[in-house]
Amino acid sequence: MPPTRSIPATAAATRLLLRPTAAATPLRLRSLPRQIPAAPSPSRQTPRALLSQSHTRLYRSTTHPPPPGPFTPTKSAILSAAYAHVPEHGFTPASLALGARAAGYLDISTTILPDGAFSLIKWHMYAQRVGLAGREGSIAGFEEMDVKARVEALTWERLMGNKAVIWRWQEALAIMAQPTYVPASVKELAELADEIWYLAGDVSVDPAWYTKRASLSAIYAAAELFMTNDRSAGFSETRNFLRRRLGEAGEIGDATRSVREWLSFTASAGVNVLRSKGVPI
Amino acid sequence: MVARPVVLRRALRSALRPSAKSPIALARPFSSAAARLAPNSTPDYAVPDPARPTHFGFETVTEAEKRERVAGVFTSVAESYDRMNDLMSFGWHRIWKDHFVASLNPGFSPLTDGPDPRASQHILDIAGGTGDIAFRMLHTAHVVNRNPDVRVTISDINPAMLTVGKQRSAALPASQQAALTFVEANAEDLTKTTPLSPNLSAPNPHPTSAIPSNSVDLYTVAFGIRNFSNIPAALREAHRVLKPGGVFACLEFSKVDKHPLFNTIYKEWSFRAIPLIGQLVAGDRDSYQYLVESIERFPSQEEFRDMIVDAGFVVGGCGYEDLTGGVAAIHKGMKPRQ
Repeated sequence: MPPTRSIPATAAATRLLLRPTAAATPLRLRSLPRQIPAAPSPSRQTPRALLSQSHTRLYRSTTHPPPPGPFTPTKSAILSAAYAHVPEHGFTPASLALGARAAGYLDISTTILPDGAFSLIKWHMYAQRVGLAGREGSIAGFEEMDVKARVEALTWERLMGNKAVIWRWQEALAIMAQPTYVPASVKELAELADEIWYLAGDVSVDPAWYTKRASLSAIYAAAELFMTNDRSAGFSETRNFLRRRLGEAGEIGDATRSVREWLSFTASAGVNVLRSKGVPI
Repeated sequence: MVARPVVLRRALRSALRPSAKSPIALARPFSSAAARLAPNSTPDYAVPDPARPTHFGFETVTEAEKRERVAGVFTSVAESYDRMNDLMSFGWHRIWKDHFVASLNPGFSPLTDGPDPRASQHILDIAGGTGDIAFRMLHTAHVVNRNPDVRVTISDINPAMLTVGKQRSAALPASQQAALTFVEANAEDLTKTTPLSPNLSAPNPHPTSAIPSNSVDLYTVAFGIRNFSNIPAALREAHRVLKPGGVFACLEFSKVDKHPLFNTIYKEWSFRAIPLIGQLVAGDRDSYQYLVESIERFPSQEEFRDMIVDAGFVVGGCGYEDLTGGVAAIHKGMKPRQ
């Protein structure tokens, strides 16, 4: 994605550090199409291509192309074929092997996936997260909403991405909770929270950047768990749950802001009183 | 690290040097024909050459000489091999081997308790003389996954090691014995394999046969590949015999460079204790001195992963899994579908 004007290298780096969607970036940029770099050819991967698979950037950048996805073409072929078997067989080695067969590979081929069934869960989460950017247009009245409403709409949209596999999602959560997979799962959750705030058009660069993402991560994880047990029509209970949690988070945000204002006012008033008494501060 | 292995240096040099072999490339320097030919042609470092220098421990010898001396080492340690492994690794090599086999899950077939309806699974265990990996594979396939349609070919260049495996296999259930084949073969050239001869001293009476291309589901080599004279050639031979989608899996000693303190202790143990244990228990210091030197000379996890990729395999994730901090590592690669 080319920058609209040339920026000196240091300035660009500072902006990157702060947060690339900082106020300087026009909001309309987010509707530009993403660049997906060409994936390495399946037969001969260069070591360079292998190394670049481990992407470290944890935020969206409008001035840099997104890091390549964690899936090579061969893995994508097996996993996308295996994903079709998830509603019936769950996130299990059986789904993987059936997928490998469908993609023209052998039962044994799935053993090169280093995380086994967790690879399939990662595939689901990655595909849903990346797919979210294309679906914002389908949300009615998205452009007119304020940031808070957009966050709710996008989070709901992402939860609906689990609808097809919701009967299997409890076992997926169990796998994600295994100590080996916790870091990868938490990272994926953080990236999802960042994606939602980004797509909602949030441009804050203050410490709230962190608290917003942390609170949304917690709310999303809770709503996901709630949804696995939700039997209401159209998951309306989950929708209400999500709305209540987001509302509470907003109230807590308001409350902390009030407390902070009161504290700073009292402190400065106290200092002024002392100064008026001749204390050299 | 003392020095980069000779094999890798050669690989690097010939990769940098423009190929003078293809007349097309010389005559038409901008033709794409040479580039199209490249993936199919074997680079010269991957063609076995008995006169080419390689390393035997810290010594430099020719490939042919290494083959003979490795044969000497394993003929002399065959009897005490298992006991020594236990003493050197505190029995931990069993954990590594169990994990290696469990991570491959041979014989696993979805939905049915029986075999894959399309074809039986063929596992080729290279340098598997004593049967450690092969017997575990059969147990996982036949007992755990209840799939009797899995057969294992144990291949080793050394008939003495194969004989130990053959004797040990007598303790297996008959159905598992029936699924086993023992062959003598050089892993760099699997077109010439011979069934194990019953008499070690006499010349092998059996005719040689080839392992056909695209016939193997799973190719395993555990603690063997560092003894090969020409590793790139062996990797290409593995690529040839595997079916598309077939998996190359290697369990081998590796580098502990990521943990400096543990590395120091580990190096002390390898270079001081292991030759001594070899002398006391097996009465053979030189063979165990070779063992630790050959571990030291084996490429690091990343270098070996790149060699596997160079031979035409695709890898998942970073391509390897460290065991016990990198004392051993599992490398896996899959032959892509063409």
